[in-house]
Amino acid sequence: MLHVADLVVVRDGRRVLNGVSLVVQPGERVAVHGPSGCGKTTLLHAIAGLVHIDTGSISLNHHDVTHTRAHQRGVGLVFQDDQLFAHLNVADNVSYALRVRGVAKRERFIVAKEWLERVGLSGFQHRHTASLSGGEAKRVALARTLAGGPNIVLLDEPLSGLDDELHDQLLGDVRSLFEQLGTTVVHVTHDRAEGAALCHRSIEFATLSDKVASRQT
Amino acid sequence: MNRVAMSQPVLHPTLGRVAALVVALWLGVFLVAPVLTMTVGFVQPADFLRVLTRSSTWQLVWFSLWQSALSVAVTLVVAAPVTWLIGLHHFRGRRLLRAVSTVGFLLPSVVVATAFLAVLPRSLHYTMFAVVIAHVYFNIAVVVRVVGARLELLDVQLMNAARTLGASPTVVWRTIVWPLIRGATVAAAAVIFLYCFSSFAVIRVLGGPRRSTLESDIALRAFGIGDISAATVLALVQLVIVVGVIGVVRRLSGREHGLSRLATLPLTTVMHRQRLFAIGVAGATATFVLLPIAALLWRSVQVGDASSLAAWRTVFDTSLTASIRASARTALLAGVLGVALAVLTTLAVVRLGTIGRLIDMLSIVVLAVSPVTLGLGLVLTFDVGWFDWRAQWWFVAVAHTLVAFPLAVRVLVPAWRTTPIGLHQAAAVLGAGELRRLVDIDLRRMRPAIVASLGLIVAVSLGEFGAASLMSRAGGETMPVMIARLLSRTGDLVRAQAFVLASLLAVVCIAALVLVEFALGKSDHVARR
Repeated sequence: MLHVADLVVVRDGRRVLNGVSLVVQPGERVAVHGPSGCGKTTLLHAIAGLVHIDTGSISLNHHDVTHTRAHQRGVGLVFQDDQLFAHLNVADNVSYALRVRGVAKRERFIVAKEWLERVGLSGFQHRHTASLSGGEAKRVALARTLAGGPNIVLLDEPLSGLDDELHDQLLGDVRSLFEQLGTTVVHVTHDRAEGAALCHRSIEFATLSDKVASRQT
Repeated sequence: MNRVAMSQPVLHPTLGRVAALVVALWLGVFLVAPVLTMTVGFVQPADFLRVLTRSSTWQLVWFSLWQSALSVAVTLVVAAPVTWLIGLHHFRGRRLLRAVSTVGFLLPSVVVATAFLAVLPRSLHYTMFAVVIAHVYFNIAVVVRVVGARLELLDVQLMNAARTLGASPTVVWRTIVWPLIRGATVAAAAVIFLYCFSSFAVIRVLGGPRRSTLESDIALRAFGIGDISAATVLALVQLVIVVGVIGVVRRLSGREHGLSRLATLPLTTVMHRQRLFAIGVAGATATFVLLPIAALLWRSVQVGDASSLAAWRTVFDTSLTASIRASARTALLAGVLGVALAVLTTLAVVRLGTIGRLIDMLSIVVLAVSPVTLGLGLVLTFDVGWFDWRAQWWFVAVAHTLVAFPLAVRVLVPAWRTTPIGLHQAAAVLGAGELRRLVDIDLRRMRPAIVASLGLIVAVSLGEFGAASLMSRAGGETMPVMIARLLSRTGDLVRAQAFVLASLLAVVCIAALVLVEFALGKSDHVARR
């Protein structure tokens, strides 16, 4: 369970998040809508521990993680632009979280292979990230996040920039994957239909705070 | 120019071929011929045996190698914090800090060595500490510029991605950052190694009588002892090691991985908990760079224990004025000749295929020949009849042209390659011929880069010490040579005069390189248009 309370993030003297609160139950998928620049990405980064929080608190499964560092939170984040590691091949990208935990290479490779099969990329283990199409890169990014076994997955408009057909296909695949795994998800998007298709409920970003949130990153 | 552009009929190779011919002739006469004269004319097989079987030769090689390796290691450690700060973070004063951290590299080696004489206590003069710290001073800029530029291309979100996958800061550095900056770090280390390996002025001024690198020993043997053959053998040994290091580095650098961040993406701000550390790093770097220059200025107004402007008044004395004049005219001529050579080289590189690549390679090979070796070769070669140019003031400028033009080529080639082929096509259909288009399109767009090259060559020439120390004649010494001579004499006023000349040289070189920075900024602007 994710519990965000009265989150305030100030950047360059400006309140980027202004008292944001949010509760997400275990296994629940919540879509957060809002226009570009409203602070959606900052909210995800705050939950992931990637930005300094000025006031407020974040707890995960009843543990306060407000001051826990990003790599110790167990929060997975799928970036809008994938952020695949260009110097690693696909399998090494997918199994990166296992590598940092000291899992043996052979075992990592097996896990990466399984996850690639799950996201529909069988046989892609040795491919270089530069050779991936937009849709394939997004599947690898998702597999990489899920392979680490996070407590919650944050999606930062991961389906943006795809053509309609690919977008719909990927959306269906992602939803069935999350349903199978029972993953807790916070999905920020400006596409209401996408949010409705993927998540149990949708929230307007502006309603997360009774104050007006200003510009984002 | 890329292959697509080269295959364009609008870019006929004639001009490139003419340029390649001129460059090849120039390098043939002033580089290849001197090196051949040295090796063929002055060395017998027995000389190799004599020099290479001496234990002192290998002690020289060993000292040159380990002092360079030590300088590289210390430079990387000292430069790492400021490189991290500048390369990854956005903060007020970032550009200023970057400019300040580059100052050391802009200064002539003699000036830096003199500045450390001014700032270090007497007990540290002529010690390894003085040598290494002076090398570090020069080379911080190399790390900041080469590795920092690479870090700037590293998307901070990549590091964030790794952190959300459970990687601690150390693991992020080891698994994400290091693989992406390894090539740049190796390249920077190689540049520093080569600078330190052929260190001359720093060793001569700060090393004391017991320390000698291959470079300083070549000069000593050639002009102190008159053992030209031994000097030549040592020069060849040095050349082999330098070429070997370049080869190893090219292999180690390996394939560069694509970095995903565009130049326009923002850097990260300094985190709250890092702020104190960042301020400390910025302050320490600025102090380290600026303190020796301040000490230089301070010592220039100290004669003995008293403050005095006496040394500054003597700037208008004959010997000092003559050295300023000699430096100015040499630098100006080297600038003009060097820019012409660099433009021709660039034209050949961007317009020709295989020959262009060969010319490009040749312009890098020139860097492997040390200034002292070059000066020695020129003096030994051009000493007969009409070609006895050793006493001519302009001959030093010829040597400086060779030392500096490869650097200018590195500035010009990328700038030239930004010229859109469409401009040539448009001008061609409007009736402009090859030469017309070269002048109206390429050279016009290149103006800022050409100005930058001029500034670079002038700055290098003003500070060049190795070749000038062998080629300058009495009464026509350039400023760096005069500084070294003044420092080797006794007397408080004479020493203060050396600090005065070094201060002047520092100011002029910094001014020249501010011009380079400004011009390069304009060049980037032109490239984006």
